[in-house]
Amino acid sequence: MIQISDDNGVRTIMFDRPDKRNALTPEMLDGLVESVRAVALGKGADANVRTVLLCGNGAAFCAGFDLDLCRDDGPEQSVMKSFLVGLNAAVEAMRACPRPVVIAAHGAAIAGGCALLGGADYVVADRGAKLGYPVVRLGISPAVSAPFLLDSVGPGPARRRLLDAKLFDGVEAARIGLVHELTETPDEAIECAHKIARAMASKSIKAMKVTKAWTMEIAGEKKMPGRAARALDASVSLVTGDEAIRRLASVWKK
Amino acid sequence: MNELATLSIDGPVATLVINRPEQHNAMSIGMLEALHRCVDELEVAEGVAVTVLTGAGRSFCAGMDLKQVIIDKDSGGSGEPLLPKRLLASLGRLTVKIRCLPSVVVAKVNGAAIGGGCGLACVCDLVVTHADSMMGFPEVDLGLCPAVVTPWLVRKIGGGPARAVLLRGGVMSGQRACEIGIADIVCPDRDSLGAAVDEVVGRYTSAGHQALFATKSLLNDLDRSRDESIVLRGAELSAAVLATEEAQASLIARLK
Repeated sequence: MIQISDDNGVRTIMFDRPDKRNALTPEMLDGLVESVRAVALGKGADANVRTVLLCGNGAAFCAGFDLDLCRDDGPEQSVMKSFLVGLNAAVEAMRACPRPVVIAAHGAAIAGGCALLGGADYVVADRGAKLGYPVVRLGISPAVSAPFLLDSVGPGPARRRLLDAKLFDGVEAARIGLVHELTETPDEAIECAHKIARAMASKSIKAMKVTKAWTMEIAGEKKMPGRAARALDASVSLVTGDEAIRRLASVWKK
Repeated sequence: MNELATLSIDGPVATLVINRPEQHNAMSIGMLEALHRCVDELEVAEGVAVTVLTGAGRSFCAGMDLKQVIIDKDSGGSGEPLLPKRLLASLGRLTVKIRCLPSVVVAKVNGAAIGGGCGLACVCDLVVTHADSMMGFPEVDLGLCPAVVTPWLVRKIGGGPARAVLLRGGVMSGQRACEIGIADIVCPDRDSLGAAVDEVVGRYTSAGHQALFATKSLLNDLDRSRDESIVLRGAELSAAVLATEEAQASLIARLK
């Protein structure tokens, strides 16, 4: 359900579930984490990877967690928990990767799909792309995304977007700094992201590595130790509560 | 020899001009020293409410002088291995000094503001430019790291956007710079830049000067602008990357 290919220093990781708008499964997140961590380790063929590109097959980048998989989840909500843990690990792996990460947020990047953008160094989207964190409607907290969104867009927009379930478009995402380049169409967003990934792959590994690490350090990303773990816990601890179970159940009744 | 930086004070408005127009105001050690002297003078100048920082000629500041950051003399460099480090540390200290001036500092970006030159603009309290000026941080394109000016870009546009700009490299128009917050005010063309700057300078001078000073000083405390150790660590990082064979080779290729 994900395809991984290396070409000219660019590792393309493509979500490949177009009939489900690339809705995530825990296995897809695991695959993403494994591939990005391998780039960071840089052993064997992975040493040749100089940029990571994440995109989706088809019209939408990613519609978020595939909630159908949570349908028969027991009271422990173990599938939902593994989604949240996997999402957190994916974003952390992208941030910790010494190579730049580019995401083509074409068409739609919703909920868990939008949360992944927190791991990117450069995001391209089309003007009409649909983005957002509509999960509070389901009784789920997007807290897991909070530390990364705070770093990307600052406290004002982060509060607005995490607490308000309403979706927003690519233009608004660019205005708040979640998206860094806009295109007219979703296809152009993929094309543009490829172009940027290739350009980044042609630059000095040392210069890119030092620049990425230093910019993150300056931005105070080490300010609150353990904050990602705390954010993850805030999301995970909620999913076994009555509200989350009731609201999630209502999704399948529709 | 001409002064590499000049300062003139007219009532509440000081004008600081980077003056090496034939080199697009590229930063040399001599120019940085001249800027330090001007800023030291400004620090104690009485009655100045606004300082306008601009470049002589058709550029604001093209960044580091290549001939002073290339080490190998036979390749057109300085032959002084420690010069790039001195340059970067001097630029770092200068940026903190400019940020900590009591007066409000306006960057009048009259053309190219590249690399360290763009960093110099970001230090200022307000950046005014014209739509077709050229701004940006192409350091990574040359195998360099803009670490010394990174703190100022992060404080200006935030960590996420700063990472996107610095890792992307290249340059952008003044219009685009304004869209992403590197510039604050953009006017249609170079001819209208003077009027645009005069208008905002007029608003500052007519405000309460003590109110401006107190507000700016608080903002500097809140974003740790006075902490020189951050930019000096950045200067060391920049210098270390600059000294690598890879970076030196690409600088020499650029010089040719």
